Amino acid sequence: MNNGEILAVQGLNVSYGESKVLFDAHLSVKPGQLVTCVGRNGAGKSTLLKSIAGFLRPTSGSIVFNNSNLVGLRSYDIANLGLKYVPQDKKVFSDLTVRENLELGSYATKDYNWGQVTDYFPKLIQLMDRKAGYLSGGERQMLMIGRAILGNPKVLLIDEPTEGLAPSIVDHLKGVLKELSRKAALVIVEQNLPLVCAISDKIYAIKEGRIVAELTDRESIRPQTCEQYL
Amino acid sequence: MKRAFAWWWGILLAFFLVAMVRVFLPLPFAIEILIFSIYTMGCNFLLGRVGFISFGQPAYLAVGAYGTAFYLFYFGQNPYVGILLGILAGVVVSAIVGPFFVRLRSDYFALVNLALAVIVYYLMEKVLASITHGDNGLWFLANISSTPVLDLGKPSQFFIFAFLVAMAIWAFYKYLDDSIYGACCLATKINEDKLRFLGYSNFSIRWLAFVIANTTTALAGSLYAVYFGFVSPEFSSPHRAADPVVVTILGGVGTLYGPIVGAIAYTGMKDLISGIVVNWELLIGFLLIFIMLAGEKGIWGTLEPILRRAIFAKRLSSSAQAQGDKSR
Repeated sequence: MNNGEILAVQGLNVSYGESKVLFDAHLSVKPGQLVTCVGRNGAGKSTLLKSIAGFLRPTSGSIVFNNSNLVGLRSYDIANLGLKYVPQDKKVFSDLTVRENLELGSYATKDYNWGQVTDYFPKLIQLMDRKAGYLSGGERQMLMIGRAILGNPKVLLIDEPTEGLAPSIVDHLKGVLKELSRKAALVIVEQNLPLVCAISDKIYAIKEGRIVAELTDRESIRPQTCEQYL
Repeated sequence: MKRAFAWWWGILLAFFLVAMVRVFLPLPFAIEILIFSIYTMGCNFLLGRVGFISFGQPAYLAVGAYGTAFYLFYFGQNPYVGILLGILAGVVVSAIVGPFFVRLRSDYFALVNLALAVIVYYLMEKVLASITHGDNGLWFLANISSTPVLDLGKPSQFFIFAFLVAMAIWAFYKYLDDSIYGACCLATKINEDKLRFLGYSNFSIRWLAFVIANTTTALAGSLYAVYFGFVSPEFSSPHRAADPVVVTILGGVGTLYGPIVGAIAYTGMKDLISGIVVNWELLIGFLLIFIMLAGEKGIWGTLEPILRRAIFAKRLSSSAQAQGDKSR
């Protein structure tokens, strides 16, 4: 790893059985950066995040996080190294309360300070004793991100954070994501191009399993530019 | 304060039920309920908290029973030491087989445990017959010595001991349910992938749960051994493999009171109704079908909301009355 990267992916190939879904993917993230992967449905964005988080085993390639090679590590070991993954489906532990969900995050990381969680998501305070299964989509997303930031991870991977959420909640999340990226590098997968362009420091466009563009300067980070690659 | 009150309200209610049984019904029946409820608590924890259905509980019951029996038949006379050795046998066996079993999916887990019950049954009946005395079993009631404080050789004092043990086990599971580990168990049942993303090993959580549940079952086996003063391969009979699962479902899966309520219902049917209705198993079958069709909540799962509504309605009406009196 060089150039002060906290996460570097090189030549990553991933298959689901016989079907290859990622071809020679690469990714480079520096501390404090907010990096976004954009692409159509089925392009391989979520697969890329799942592979980094250790949920899928790549057929070849390297994933280096904070000078540790993640390939072959189990997903819970990767989480304990400080790389957290927030999946797309917004499935929380529905039979547990919000408090218990957060306690799970705290117990794993030994971080019992929920101050930053409630600072970002004050609404969670009044929902503490509610079962997570009864939360709205936006509230679930708040809980999932809140739980993931316990223990101050160095990199946060978030899959489709705004999918299916009301515009007011998307606005709130937009601010939170930008704020969060000052403390931890963020890699998000997102289809909302205006939002992506408003908050990202770097954008990777993925098409049919290949990274077809890497946009880094403010001039090129525009919805119209992104559209060209999708 | 409110939480502490709710806690004690629960434990008092649960054991008030058992105490009532002791007052109105014969002692052996009350003891059977206590031991059966301990037997079922392990199964209930596995099924309700971790999502594992096990048809191999008789294997762990027999491990505990034989652990105690070997000591009392061959080596010593103190029943407390025998019970401790039965518990230890349960810990060792479940810790050894656990790593292989807990990796399996729930349906295969059920079957592999059933296979273990069959293995233990034939080990005790045939392979180790020279030390287990095969079908004749081990008789050691006369070997059990009198002990200070509670003499386990006397049924009335054994009842008190079993009552205290059952209460302690119930409180332990209540503590587990409220702890972060209990939340981890439930989380591994709901969505194991999400738990991994948080940094937990599902394997470790399940293994520990497996050891805890089967040690509880082994403890029940030890209590049976001391109470009867006799063990035989019938303890691990695969024919009785479904019993704890049936009682768990009958009582209410995952509820803390379910094992006690289920044990009362099941033992009641077996010991009392069997005197009136010859084919009492048919009643259990029909009752289970009815419970499944009524929403799979079990007896306690169905009764609890009704009781809760009744209690809260009473509290609300009394507080409304108090408000009315004040305003007058």
